[in-house]
Amino acid sequence: MLRRLLQGFDARRQGATLTVLGLASLAARGLVFSALGLELLALAFWCWARAADDAVEQVRRWSWLRRPAQALWFAAGVHAIAASVPAWPGFAHMGAAALLPRLEAGGVVWAGLELLAALPLSRPYSDVSGPLLVMRPWLPTLLPAAGFAVLWRNADAWVPVPEIRRIAEALLLLTAVLSALRAFGRRQWIASLRWLTITDSALGALLVASAAVRPQVSLLLWLGACGGRAFMLAGELRGATSRRGTTLPRMWRAASWVGSAALSWPLLIRVGFGPGGGAHAVRFFLTAVPVTLTAWIAVRRIVKAPERRQMMRRDAAVTLSHFSALLTLVLGPLALLLGWWLGFEASWPGSVISLLPSALGGGAAFALPKRKRAAKHVVQPTAGAAIASESAPRPRDPLPRGFGALARGLARGTFRNVTALERWIVDALGRLATSVISPLRDLHTGDAQEYLLFLVGLSVLALVLPFLR
Amino acid sequence: MNAATMLAQLLAYGPALAALVAAALLLSVDRRGHGLLYALAPIVVLLPLAAISTGRLPFGHAGAALVVALVVAILARDRDELLQNECALKLLWVMGVSLALSWAGADLLVLVTGTPRVLEQWGVLGLGIDAPYLWSVALPLSMLTGLVMLGGAPFHFWLADVLQGARPWAAPLAVVALQTTGAAWIGARMEGVEMLPTANAISIGLLGVCAGIAWLAGAATLLVQRRPERRVGTLVSLQGGLALGMLLAGRRAADPTWFTAWTAHQVLAVTGASVLARFLPVSGGTARPGGALFRRHPAAGLAGWLATASLAGVPGTPGAWLWMRVARALATTGHLGLLLALGLAWLAAFAAVMRQARDAIGVPDPTPPPTRVVPWTARAALWIPALALIALIVSGASKR
Repeated sequence: MLRRLLQGFDARRQGATLTVLGLASLAARGLVFSALGLELLALAFWCWARAADDAVEQVRRWSWLRRPAQALWFAAGVHAIAASVPAWPGFAHMGAAALLPRLEAGGVVWAGLELLAALPLSRPYSDVSGPLLVMRPWLPTLLPAAGFAVLWRNADAWVPVPEIRRIAEALLLLTAVLSALRAFGRRQWIASLRWLTITDSALGALLVASAAVRPQVSLLLWLGACGGRAFMLAGELRGATSRRGTTLPRMWRAASWVGSAALSWPLLIRVGFGPGGGAHAVRFFLTAVPVTLTAWIAVRRIVKAPERRQMMRRDAAVTLSHFSALLTLVLGPLALLLGWWLGFEASWPGSVISLLPSALGGGAAFALPKRKRAAKHVVQPTAGAAIASESAPRPRDPLPRGFGALARGLARGTFRNVTALERWIVDALGRLATSVISPLRDLHTGDAQEYLLFLVGLSVLALVLPFLR
Repeated sequence: MNAATMLAQLLAYGPALAALVAAALLLSVDRRGHGLLYALAPIVVLLPLAAISTGRLPFGHAGAALVVALVVAILARDRDELLQNECALKLLWVMGVSLALSWAGADLLVLVTGTPRVLEQWGVLGLGIDAPYLWSVALPLSMLTGLVMLGGAPFHFWLADVLQGARPWAAPLAVVALQTTGAAWIGARMEGVEMLPTANAISIGLLGVCAGIAWLAGAATLLVQRRPERRVGTLVSLQGGLALGMLLAGRRAADPTWFTAWTAHQVLAVTGASVLARFLPVSGGTARPGGALFRRHPAAGLAGWLATASLAGVPGTPGAWLWMRVARALATTGHLGLLLALGLAWLAAFAAVMRQARDAIGVPDPTPPPTRVVPWTARAALWIPALALIALIVSGASKR
């Protein structure tokens, strides 16, 4: 009986159980729970990866997931130590009382940023599918969500530390721009959606860092934007259910647009018109780039799925997709209303200007006519309809021919060049570290030559002794 | 002596007893061709080693030499075991040199102060009658053998050699007996050193440098080490660094029970980890099917992994408490550089242990698992330290 039960508990179920436990742990308060959550998530990916057909490749591909968990364990350890270090009044900026909060914040930010693809070590992970066959394209969306959860839940640990917060903000902004460019550059809608979840999560984390709104509001705003994309991605795996018919694509277009706009609006207000120095214009512009691109993609790329079936399946009039689109549509504005209720205020010109990037992106995508592309598997229309459509006057295209491909190529090239540069720097540092460590490895082969190390140790000690006096 | 006191005594010696039982089980399977009495004969030498591992025996100059002699004797006993004999030779050379240097340092101090009692020596030196050059060189020299015995880098090679080369029943007790002796040696040499600030600064400086090197070099070694036995050796050397860190910071901030807990944990964790290491595959660059132990007896494998994880200070294990206490002591005494080094070492150890677990379980193998079972005695040797460690976890949790 037990053996049969254990046999039924295969890698798929193991991973699913671990993921649920991990996400529940991430939702709990406390660094230890967050670290445990990430550890369980990494374990879930490993369980799925080792059971995959291409197990060797999948295990290698997702092995980096232990790094964020490790960083968070480190932060949890530092937090546990910090409680026992006395902070004398007036001396909080010196010694352990100053170092430990920075280390803790560094650990939390490392974990969150790496999951949000904001560190050069694992940035392109959203280009590849996950390890579990049945939901491969969807699984990577769990990771930016986990990254946002880490940064949101442990905001107390890193937002009050100005040095770490500034570094995190710069990296998040770069990630938002790069991921939006990547989403724009990718032709596959599924891949674009995965990158959009990273853009939304990075913008959400920036909102947490800016403390423009209360934490619960930033969570709702992020849910409205990123949750909608995750649902659409799940719908894509079930035969593009979120793009079937004529109503659903429109609903999702509006919901995605509104969700993105609601998430970015308070952030842009804080970045452009909040208290602080004079670099607002540059930061506002940099933040506006991903917002505009996201709005463009959300409106422009959600198109009605081509119907490949001769016989239509009978569906309920209101499906889960309708309900989710409606929820996504109202969640953002409701969160903003809650934010206003809890004290969020915006200046008059600032609030309008901050709406412009998403309005421009979405409005342009909506207003500019689309060039028709020949669909391969669309059910062939009748001969008469085909002649009629050929003879009908085409709408005038205001963009020059090939402009879209050129823009996508530019976005792809920018992303590739930046990631290649990052990769080169990381590899160079790795080679440097290897060259430093390799003598140690040579001396640690287990042969008698290791005992040379003993003599080296004694000699160093003999040299150090006079300095100790 | 009432029953409660007797029980407390038994619990104090329990970990060493558990390690001795595990060693006896491994010995019986290692020498099963011989008669039982003959096979278990080395227990006569393992018994004092286990007693030393409790950390409750007083040590003089001769005590440390006796421990080294016992370890070398048990390693060199079987002339057909080439690897063991090589280990014995290496240990003799390393420990012999370090003991000679330390004796020379200690005798110089006696010469300068005119008294062999360490507590009196600080008082005499504090009078400032003698030039400080001689005794300030003699003091670190007198501590050298403790540093070598604790096995922190750059003296960490002998630990990996013994854990790889010696038989599994002899290696853990030999390693822990030497490390415990090393910690006791330094503790004895530093008794009352606070009375003389210059000597205090010298000893703290030396211990700080050694602990820092032990953690940093140990962390770097763990990154490149592929053989599981040697990896356990490096983890044990990090534990030696922990003892150094506590000796350095502990006199002002530490819990006096730390060293008792450290020796108890060390003897259990090294026993479990060293037995498990014999069954693990050498790490490669890619994922491969798991080793026979984890395919055939995954629960026993996990029991062994608990001991390795505890050595690395994985959260939730008794070892994590030891790491945390040292980190707290370093933070409260303001040794921030050492605290960072300790943090790096902990990260490297934690990552290495998790990687080792994944390598051991590996990717699924379509071929059926091996038909031959791992002997029950070897599995019991994995379970005994694991159960004792679980008991430590439970007792620690109940105390909190």
